[in-house]
Amino acid sequence: MSAIESLINPPTASSNWQGRLNLQFQVNNGQTRLTHSQAIAPYKVQRSFAHRDGTCQVVMLHTAGGMVGGDRLTTEVTIGEQANVLLTTAAAAKIYKSTGNLTQQTVHITVAPNAWLEWLPQETIVFDRAQYRQDLQIELAPGAQVILWEVTRFGRTARGEHFTQGDWRSHTEVWQAGTPLWIDRQWLPASPEMLDSPHGLNHCPIVGTFAWIGQSLEKADVEAIRQLWEPITAHYPGDQLGVTRLPQGLLCRYRGHSSTAVRQSFIQIWQWIRSHQDRTWNELPRVWML
Amino acid sequence: MQTSGLLRLMQLVSPSLPVGAYSYSEGLETLVQRGTIANVEQLQHWLTQELTYGAVRLEAAVMLRSYQASQAGDRVAIEYWNQWLTAARDTEELRSQSLQMGRSLLRLFQDVQENLNSTQATDLETVLTTLDALKSQGCHFAIAFGLVASMWEVEETSTLLGYLHSWASNLVSAAIKLVPLGQTEGQRLLLALNPTIEQAAQTIVQLADGDLVSCGWGLSLASMHHETLYSRLFRS
Repeated sequence: MSAIESLINPPTASSNWQGRLNLQFQVNNGQTRLTHSQAIAPYKVQRSFAHRDGTCQVVMLHTAGGMVGGDRLTTEVTIGEQANVLLTTAAAAKIYKSTGNLTQQTVHITVAPNAWLEWLPQETIVFDRAQYRQDLQIELAPGAQVILWEVTRFGRTARGEHFTQGDWRSHTEVWQAGTPLWIDRQWLPASPEMLDSPHGLNHCPIVGTFAWIGQSLEKADVEAIRQLWEPITAHYPGDQLGVTRLPQGLLCRYRGHSSTAVRQSFIQIWQWIRSHQDRTWNELPRVWML
Repeated sequence: MQTSGLLRLMQLVSPSLPVGAYSYSEGLETLVQRGTIANVEQLQHWLTQELTYGAVRLEAAVMLRSYQASQAGDRVAIEYWNQWLTAARDTEELRSQSLQMGRSLLRLFQDVQENLNSTQATDLETVLTTLDALKSQGCHFAIAFGLVASMWEVEETSTLLGYLHSWASNLVSAAIKLVPLGQTEGQRLLLALNPTIEQAAQTIVQLADGDLVSCGWGLSLASMHHETLYSRLFRS
């Protein structure tokens, strides 16, 4: 089935995917390499790139177009000591409407001492009537750090669809030596009221979260990020962007109408962090450019 | 509930309890300045959403876990949930608020607890060691509240209702100053929130650990923006 056909006629729940992805990374002579890769359909892994600062970039690919109720995808990533890994996806993820069963995605990542993980997937489009639950669990060893983002669009807004029925949950947890550093338990039980409420989506179809965990920051860093964003917030007055410190990191939230706005603002912080960490490479991965 | 438990609950949820609750608006100041909350109906909507889907639901559920762990003398569980709240509070201001109020309540409890005549239900030694540990790592208000309510032998459901009601009452007071609203309007709203509070309490007691979820976009953004407001009456 082509991508366009699968949009028109989402696959039925009779043939559920139980995809698995297992990736392992190690450093060799300053360059991080993908040392083990196992992908069970619908997952695929594109060829990895070695960036000049030693970062290994891997693009994950979901070949089935989207996920239906009953699909269950599991990803396990192990990142070795001192390794630098950037994981992203080839395209937006789509969560189709469900006839009742839950669509589940579970990701577990262990990051060894002084390793650096960037978990930067492209946006997820949650169709009306989807029943979705994702779990991202990251274990950081001492000295390890993670940058992660998540961008979610509720409803295929281009065709006027809104997320008025269904349920979406995203649980993200980052732990270090048995202590939780960041726990994010987001829930959106769909309803027209939830979409309209200033407490919920405030008429905005897109939400985003950006977090950097594993390092404590100064108040001035938060101020610098706010200034970085000024041109974006001026250009998108209906959107909201916020930033705050975590005990061991930084958290940003976005709620608005523009994929471009959320993408630009998150890429700016990503590049700002990279330049402050003396990471020489901060050009955009090619798959992000549309 | 025994009369003594009821009287202690009234003390614990009283606005005169010196824990500084009156200095926090939990994002309401931002929302009022932005014009999002400009009348009592909009305030009622916000508080209802927060009680039904928001962060206070999680806090109250953790408060209940602290109460139960304290009843069971389970120090490990109390410390676990305290760390959990540190990791789960969305913004720096909300985290600071929770820790400042928790610290104040613990200190107050230790200062007044010699007047307590009965602590048979719990192992006082365990609680005192727990208190010392919590003081050194920073104690959240919800944790301290559950612990004190348990030590004061307040009945569990009343503790939960009391926690939610004192939260609502404090935010209504903040909104009376901010919007501003009349005192009578505020009292009418508090009465009107009772069914929501009861419903929230019924849901919260049933939440399993895996169901501790909330819809946090509105509160999180309002709280993040509070730090940048030009003039501020409140600390959150």
